[in-house]
Amino acid sequence: MKLTVEMLARQVEGRVQLLAPGVGLFSDAARPGRILVPGDEAGVLNTLDVPAHLVVPAGVAGRVITELPERVHSPVDYEAVLYELELVGEQLVPEAHADAAALDADGMVVRAHHAGRFWRRPSPDMPFFAEVDTVLTEGDAVGLLEVMKTFNHVLYRATGGLPPRARVTRVLVEDGGEVEDGQALLVVEPA
Amino acid sequence: MFHRLLIANRGEVAVRIARAARQLGISPIGVTSTADRDGSWTEYMDEVVCLGPAAARESYLSRERILQAALQTHSTALHPGWGFLAEDARFAALCRQHGIAFVGPSAALIARMGAKSPAKRAMREAGLEVIPGSDGPVDDLETAVAVAEEAGYPVILKADLGGGGRGMRRCDSKADLQAAFNAARAEAEASFGSASVYLEKFLTGGRHIEVQILADAHGNAIHLGERDCSVQRKHQKLIEESPSPALSDAERLELGARAAAAARAVGYQNAGTIEFLRAADGPIYFMEMNTRLQVEHPVTEMVTGVDLAVAQLEIAANRPLTLRQGDVRFDGHAIECRINAEDPSCDFRPSPGKLERFEIPTDRGPGRVRVETHLRAGDTVSPHYDSLIAKIIAHGSDRSEAIATMLAALEGAEITGVETTVPLHRAVLSSDAFASGDYDTTTLPGW
Repeated sequence: MKLTVEMLARQVEGRVQLLAPGVGLFSDAARPGRILVPGDEAGVLNTLDVPAHLVVPAGVAGRVITELPERVHSPVDYEAVLYELELVGEQLVPEAHADAAALDADGMVVRAHHAGRFWRRPSPDMPFFAEVDTVLTEGDAVGLLEVMKTFNHVLYRATGGLPPRARVTRVLVEDGGEVEDGQALLVVEPA
Repeated sequence: MFHRLLIANRGEVAVRIARAARQLGISPIGVTSTADRDGSWTEYMDEVVCLGPAAARESYLSRERILQAALQTHSTALHPGWGFLAEDARFAALCRQHGIAFVGPSAALIARMGAKSPAKRAMREAGLEVIPGSDGPVDDLETAVAVAEEAGYPVILKADLGGGGRGMRRCDSKADLQAAFNAARAEAEASFGSASVYLEKFLTGGRHIEVQILADAHGNAIHLGERDCSVQRKHQKLIEESPSPALSDAERLELGARAAAAARAVGYQNAGTIEFLRAADGPIYFMEMNTRLQVEHPVTEMVTGVDLAVAQLEIAANRPLTLRQGDVRFDGHAIECRINAEDPSCDFRPSPGKLERFEIPTDRGPGRVRVETHLRAGDTVSPHYDSLIAKIIAHGSDRSEAIATMLAALEGAEITGVETTVPLHRAVLSSDAFASGDYDTTTLPGW
């Protein structure tokens, strides 16, 4: 079975970079001048002799301006720049936390009290602590925050303008997502 | 000897191994996650490969990515450090399959020592006393009850593949055991992928005493004395020392000799540690064998003068041990304190953050001080990995001089930006209970 893996994308000064999604030997690179669009295959990353066909992720398009690597099998590490793309037409790379940031401004949000990893359920086979429409009251757990291999509950606190009873309207962080100190986790409204 | 060594780990242990590699003229190659890419510790490496994102599963625990990194950097040996993949038999096998020397014992031995009951059986056959209980896993309740009657209650059910204090159930009576047996098996299956459980007498307290072993590929095995790691909090070691204040010289020599003989009997190779429990009523039982270098190894290095990390690399390169048991000298007393970025006044809450000041003096005397760390002022203590930021190791001509030396270093330590366990160590080291040497693994002397 053919293994395909999406490359990572990053926007740098009006250009888009496509990055290696793992560690391995990069081969079959797309030539300069080729226009890449989402879903295109562009090169192979061999990790322990298992070839992964590299695919252009959604929202990214452009003309390859990177020269071919000097070596047929070029060793790369994670996030190594494989291609730089020059834009042709409208730029489509999504801004990662754009709408979370917008919501930060005025919505009622529950925030992380520490940087770490946010888990939405106690274990993969258990239900989420809080989902859209869950009603929260003081002391309810909304998730777990993993910091230095220790897990602490993130509790709902009716302070800082949050109501005593709140209904979740949006969940902003995926299960296992990394969060910064103070990052918004959930958007709520009075219930 | 190898030319390039891939160090499949991060932080303090990566730096420690890089130092040993350089001493032997080997070029150290590092790996990082994106969270560690800017860590100053990566400067100790000649080359660094970024493996993946912060989550260890996609970086430090990714066997394929690490091995690929070793291959494409032309490393011919790999040191796993401790934690992460250090005791992963599959990883060790995979390394050898790809022609890379794994710095540690064979995959088969790692697997045998990693499962509790086979390890226990092997060590009993090798002449060590084991905690009374089942001979291997117990598959049915009837056998469990019979074994428990013989060992005497309370007993404890343990998952064969468990570890780190997880997958254990204490049973005080037959009724308890009947109620717990199936649940323990189901839990073991769910947590560790095997329902296999074994049963042994429940012992509480006592002393954690471990013996350092070095064994080569030519049948030589020696011990480098013991370390006492009885100052613990929630099964996590905080302070380790050598020699143990709980053993007489005769006991210490006998325990060391028995441990070395057992290592030889199971065909052990490389550095390893056999952990024992000295029960409150006297017997010294085998607990488990750690098939890797340990966090507290500098304690042994300070009293014997042997560089364990260098020895590991030499053994992995098939060199015979040049040190004979009779050449091992034990000089003075060493103590190690693990400094964690945790707030001891707030239930040891993790305290990641940016280190503003980070100074630990090594010249306050009366004895010698060694500091092992991968950090310096301005570095960030990452929330992604464990909280160890430094180890202070103090050596004195005797235990009280070692304590005084450690206290002087702790008094002079200036660490700001994160909370640390320095206040805890100061309290323990200056307590009468610690000075007396009389405590067990369940009590924190002086705290």
